[in-house]
Amino acid sequence: MKPIKILHMYADMLDLYGDSGNMEILQYRCKMRGIPCEIEHYSRTSEVPDFSSYDLIYLGGGADLEQQILSADLPRCSEGLKKAYADGVFFLMICGGYQLMGKYYRDADGNELPGVGLFDYHTIAPNSRRKRCIGNIVVQTEITGEPLDIIGFENHGGQTSGVTSPFGKVRCGNGNCFQSDTEGYCGKNVIATYLHGPLLAKNPKLSDYILTYCLSRREDAPEQLAPLDDTLENECRAVMLERLLKK
Amino acid sequence: MKRFFILLGKLLVKGLQLLGKNAGNLPGCILWTLTRHKCVSLFQVDCPIIAVTGTNGKTSVTSYVAKLFSGEGVKLITNSAGNNLDTGICSLLLQHCDWKGRVNADYLILETDESHVPVVYSQLKLETLVVLNFFRDQLDRNGEVETLILKINEFCKTFEGNLILNGDDPNTARLGRANPNNKNVKYFHAEPYAHATTQLFEAGEGRFCPFCGSALEYAYYQYSHIGKFACPECGYGTHTPYVTTTDIDLDKPSFRIGENTYTPALNSIYHVYNMTAVTAVAKLYDIDNRILTDAIANYTVKNGRMESFTLGENPAVLNLAKNPVGANMTLRVMNEMSGEKELLFVLNDNIADGLDVSWIWDINFSVFERVTRVVTSGTRAHDIAVRIKCAGYDPSKIVVRPKLDDAVEELNTTAGKKFVIANYTAVQPTRAALKRYIEKHGGAANEAN
Ligand SMILES: [Zn+2]
Repeated sequence: MKPIKILHMYADMLDLYGDSGNMEILQYRCKMRGIPCEIEHYSRTSEVPDFSSYDLIYLGGGADLEQQILSADLPRCSEGLKKAYADGVFFLMICGGYQLMGKYYRDADGNELPGVGLFDYHTIAPNSRRKRCIGNIVVQTEITGEPLDIIGFENHGGQTSGVTSPFGKVRCGNGNCFQSDTEGYCGKNVIATYLHGPLLAKNPKLSDYILTYCLSRREDAPEQLAPLDDTLENECRAVMLERLLKK
Repeated sequence: MKRFFILLGKLLVKGLQLLGKNAGNLPGCILWTLTRHKCVSLFQVDCPIIAVTGTNGKTSVTSYVAKLFSGEGVKLITNSAGNNLDTGICSLLLQHCDWKGRVNADYLILETDESHVPVVYSQLKLETLVVLNFFRDQLDRNGEVETLILKINEFCKTFEGNLILNGDDPNTARLGRANPNNKNVKYFHAEPYAHATTQLFEAGEGRFCPFCGSALEYAYYQYSHIGKFACPECGYGTHTPYVTTTDIDLDKPSFRIGENTYTPALNSIYHVYNMTAVTAVAKLYDIDNRILTDAIANYTVKNGRMESFTLGENPAVLNLAKNPVGANMTLRVMNEMSGEKELLFVLNDNIADGLDVSWIWDINFSVFERVTRVVTSGTRAHDIAVRIKCAGYDPSKIVVRPKLDDAVEELNTTAGKKFVIANYTAVQPTRAALKRYIEKHGGAANEAN
């Protein structure tokens, strides 16, 4: 079987709050099913790769300093990334990665960092670094075709607006802005979100949605992914949903 | 007004003591509000103040430094209870000052929370600041590590006292450039130990030069991002060490600094770095080497770092891990332990833990040596179970017991060695649960250290 190819961008810089865990989880869920999965890295010192040759492109979150450095490197990737997205490559982006794919990010000091401009939203950080959206968060998404509660942890200063198709409705927490109704951005082949935790830790159905999408693009696509024993994950979800949603 | 606040504070301390309570933070918190957040400025301190800060190791280093200065007729004030915020330091000083707020002591040796260094020492004159390291820790409470460093850097711009910095931590050593006029910047450094690597093994901060943004190059990593680094572009990292530790042998354990050999009480590389920092302070203050040698060899701090217990018949070790670096280090120690063992991991997500448990995914669980079973507990018992499972550990060998007493019972249903890891707010409840088990089933809590 042809391996699922993942490009983890800037893993050396965008790696806050356990975001690399998402890669570990996808790899784990492939391995348990005997699906080969290869993760390659792209960083500032790499040659610009053929982004369209991957099944999934992943970006994690980072602090302001890292965002600044990356913003300078992104222009050389921008065309390739846009083409890959149009070709149907899946984009998964967390927090800082989410922000960088938009039009721009204005940091707490007022510096405006241009994004890739793949999507129309933009992000503005409040002047005070103390003002942050922090806490457990539950978002209900319909991306899998039915309502699914996604549990994670948000920790961001940036306030994102101009989102045309949010990832989900906020059931508990802040979302794209302080006290907002919606969280993240999504489309057929993109999920961009503020959720750490990491995102996929407590949301195995979301992991499998992403893997199913990646496999669906090939001719020998399996009908369905083999089921896995998610007892621990489901117990974890039950405990957190009970705690966060009971009011 | 000042005298009134001191009086009030002292009455609060006395009142709490009469009620049989430790003064703790409360008097400080009340004065903090009344003085519009300037509670430490109420005091007049004429003796030298030595402060220790950093993500990991500040409690240990503070108590070792206090040990160096203690002696017949020396009045020393130190916050051994870990009350390291401005309010805690205020409560402490209330107990040692006169009615005018004058603090009567020969030395103040204060563990100080990283985020409170500028607050406290803009109000009290600091003689020496020791900075150990900056790691990811309780990020959501303090803001990102970078923000924290920038705050301390801002403080250092006008600080002219002694600045003792970990020269092997790019996040810490950069503070040495904050004030070019400060001639009292001193770096400590350690030569590679046996397990030093040329590749980064665990998640770390500061992989990029804070001055020019280039990727830092490392001759070796000791652990996490601590090691011999240099910036290929601008030359950051070429500072000359004030103290250099060599010949680190963790099996004995022993290490050398200059002509002297020391035999530390604990055998981890973190501890060696802590002792190197202590040695730098000793050198600065001309402490007799016999006192230093003795402190390093014989003194240990009892704070949930490698504490021994016997649970019924089972030998057990309890260790605190409040962030990935601490946890990775603890796992190394567990893996190096001979024979089979079972692990109990207690994970809480209380406010002091930082609420966010994402950090457990930065722990490298991929190598488990001879760990036959894992029990998880705490308010996030399920999260740590999922984490360990996804690292490839057989889920049928993972048992989730959120209640601590149940978890300790479960751990001891089989005979053999036990290793217990607990995060910040979980350590004391875990220790208490281990002691309850011992009361019920026999065994011993090792009070020796
Ligand atoms: Zn540089």
